[in-house]
Amino acid sequence: MQVSGRKVAVVGMGGVFPTCSNLAEFKEKLFANESLLREWDKATAHGKNIRSTVAGFVTEAEMDLEIIPSSIMENYPETYIDKLNRISANNLATADVGSIWAMISTLDAIKMAGWSTEETESEQTGVVIGSGGGGHEILRAAWHNFFELKKKSRLAGSHNVDRAMVYRDAANVSCLIKNKGVCESIGSACATGLGNIGYAYRLIKFGLQDRVIAGGVEGTSIETFLGFDSMQVLSRGFSPEKSSRPFDINRNGFVCAFGGGIVALEEYDLAKARGAKILAVIDEYFNNSDGDGDMFAPSFAGQQRLWKGLLANTTKRPDVVKVHGTSTPAGDAIELLSVVDALGETGYHVSAPKSQFGHMLGAAGSVEFIASVLMLENQAVLPCLNSDELSENLEGFQNSEQWNGPKKPLSVFRDLIPQQSFQKEINTITCLNYGFGGTNSAIMISKDY
Amino acid sequence: MDRQEIIKEIVEILKTVRTINPEKLDNVTEDTDFIADLNTPSTEMINIAAKVEQKFDIEFEDDDIDDLGSKVRDIVDLIIATKEKE
Repeated sequence: MQVSGRKVAVVGMGGVFPTCSNLAEFKEKLFANESLLREWDKATAHGKNIRSTVAGFVTEAEMDLEIIPSSIMENYPETYIDKLNRISANNLATADVGSIWAMISTLDAIKMAGWSTEETESEQTGVVIGSGGGGHEILRAAWHNFFELKKKSRLAGSHNVDRAMVYRDAANVSCLIKNKGVCESIGSACATGLGNIGYAYRLIKFGLQDRVIAGGVEGTSIETFLGFDSMQVLSRGFSPEKSSRPFDINRNGFVCAFGGGIVALEEYDLAKARGAKILAVIDEYFNNSDGDGDMFAPSFAGQQRLWKGLLANTTKRPDVVKVHGTSTPAGDAIELLSVVDALGETGYHVSAPKSQFGHMLGAAGSVEFIASVLMLENQAVLPCLNSDELSENLEGFQNSEQWNGPKKPLSVFRDLIPQQSFQKEINTITCLNYGFGGTNSAIMISKDY
Repeated sequence: MDRQEIIKEIVEILKTVRTINPEKLDNVTEDTDFIADLNTPSTEMINIAAKVEQKFDIEFEDDDIDDLGSKVRDIVDLIIATKEKE
C-alpha cells in the first residue's frame, strides 16, 4: 500500500544510445530532430535471408569495449576489456554486453544523483533492471559449440549462466554498486523498461526502499533482431532515417533497436533534504493487461482501462503524451485513438521518440522515460518524425459495431502530432508502453516546483 | 617437458585470465595457491582447466577435475598423470 506523504523523485540518469557517446549528445540529437537509425552491416551480411536491415545499434567499439574471444570456443566472447576503465575485470567477467551497458549507465546515474557510497551501499537502496531478451549472443555460441561442434560443456566455462540469466543486468549492477536492498528484474516484453521503473516507484512509494536504480537494457544482438525479422513486423523499404514513421499512412513496421536507460529514483524528501537536483517527480504509475487472450493485438479496451487507472487519483492532465508509437499498422492507430478517448482532442501533444531511435524492446520504456525527462528539462516536445501523411479514412476496426472509441480518422488529429521539435510549457508528461502478452504500462511525471 | 616448463606454460595461461592481477604472476611456484595467493575467483578454475587441456593437448576426467586442489602443484601433477595415461 502507498505510504501517505511519500513522493518519488528522479535524481539521476544514464544510458547507452545509438550513434551517441553520452546523454548530452543524445539530448542534442533528439531536439535537433535527428534520426539515430542506420543500415546494419550485421544484417546486410545475411543477404536475402534477412528481411529488414535497418536498426538502432551500438557496437562494442562505440562503447570503448573490446571483445576478448575465447581461445577454446568458436565465436565465444571470453570476456570484455573496458578501454576507459569504468568497470573492473571482475565485474566484466560476469557480464554480457547489455549488462556492461547497465553498469556504465548506473555509474553515470549515481554520479548525477550525487549518492554517497554509504547511501549507494545501503539496505535502503535497490536495483530493478530488466531486459527483453536473454543473453542470446552468449547462449548461441555456447550451444553451437556443444551441440554442433560436439565440444565438452566445460569449455563454456563458468560465465554462461551469469551472462545469460534473465536478471543478469540487475545482478551485475548490484554486484558493482554493492547495494544491500532488493535486486530484481521485471520482465514485460516491450514494456519492460517502464515496468521496472514503475515497480521501483512502488518500492519507494510503499516505503520499502528509499533509493532504487531502475530501468531497462537491450544489448545489441542479431539473434534478438532475427526473432522480429522472422515475424515480418520490422519496417522495410525506406532509407534508415525514414524507416520509423509512427502514425504515417505508409508505416509498415517498427525498427528494431538496442540501447539502455537507467534512472536513479529517490524518496522526494530525502532527495530535497540533501539538496539534490530533482529532474522530475513521478506522480502516478499504473499497469494492467488486455484480458482478451490475444498475445499480440493491441486492445482499445485495455488501453481505456489503463488511462482510467492512471488518472483515477489525480486531477493532473499531461501536456505531452509520450506514446509507445512503434510504427506498426495496428498499434499506432489504436493507441492514438485511446489517447484521444482519454484526453479529448486538444490541450496536449503527442511525442513518438521511436521515430528517432527505433524500438529498443526491453530498453524502450526506460530510454523513452529519459527522453521524457529531457522534454521536461528542455521545455520542448520531441517530434514524431516521418508522420508525413495521416490516414483520412476510418480504420477498418472503427467501422465495426463493437467499436466504442472515436469515430474520426487519424488525420483529424494532425495538430496533436508535431513533425519537428518545438518549445512549449510542459509541466506534466505521460509515458505509455505496451508489450506482447497484452501488458500495458503508464507513468505520469511532472516538473518539480 | 619437466615440471618447471609446465609451470611456465601455466603462467602463460594465467596471463590471459583478466581477473588475475598480472603482477602476482612474477613468482609462481608449485606452492602457489590459485585462490589464496593469486586471488583467482573460484569460478575461473574451470576456465583455467579447460585452457590447460587445450594447451597441453590432453583431456581431463571429470572426476579428476572435481578432485583438483587449488595449488599449482595439483594441476602440474594432474597434467603429468593425464599425459602418462594417454
